[in-house]
Amino acid sequence: MSMNKVGGVIVSHGQLANELLAAAETVIGDLSHIVAVSIGWHDDVDAAKDEIARAIKNVSQGVGVLLMTDMFGGTPTNISAMFLEDGKVEIVTGVNLPMVIKFATQSEETALSDLAREVEEQGKQSIYRTAALLEPHKMKKDA
Amino acid sequence: MLEGTVKVINPLGLHARAAAQLVRLAGKFKCQITVERLDGTAFANAKSMLSVLTLAASMNTVLKLTAAGEDESEAFEAVSYLFSNGFGEL
Repeated sequence: MSMNKVGGVIVSHGQLANELLAAAETVIGDLSHIVAVSIGWHDDVDAAKDEIARAIKNVSQGVGVLLMTDMFGGTPTNISAMFLEDGKVEIVTGVNLPMVIKFATQSEETALSDLAREVEEQGKQSIYRTAALLEPHKMKKDA
Repeated sequence: MLEGTVKVINPLGLHARAAAQLVRLAGKFKCQITVERLDGTAFANAKSMLSVLTLAASMNTVLKLTAAGEDESEAFEAVSYLFSNGFGEL
């Protein structure tokens, strides 16, 4: 029996969402439980809201949907916030490629709220000032 | 528990797509599979893509491979082959 997965929607300004999803798919393979919603700079709020609603419906398998948006305070996040619903829809902002990969490789029984926290943590931990890694005495033993 | 070394031979190193292949392969086995740098600066669960990427293993890096569990010999052999095969990229 295949368990239901938490669905994912990447929401961004411009084509960022589509390209993030395409990059993650290149690495991992087919990601049918994630869709991208790219909101044009001049799209009206109602049209964007409808598109996000459709996306949530499309990816929902009954165990919740995580919206991953580009930037806190931006329109894609603000519109997404209208869909927040305890246990059903969560939002994590500042989406980057490691976050999408973390989300895509979720273990099957992870609950929405736990997954949202894991994705948030991953996003923060995946940012390195790479030059710092070349200073051996500062490297972490268990990255 | 089986332990040995593997060498990254493909020019791009253990990059994203190669790491994804390793994780996909490792996920087929029940045993624990870990990969670590010989200098001890980085350690990864071979079943976690983002963990594997933190190894930052470039071409010619030698890594310690460990498999522990009921199907460890099959896993060790399969993962070793993936490295020696250059992740199918050569």
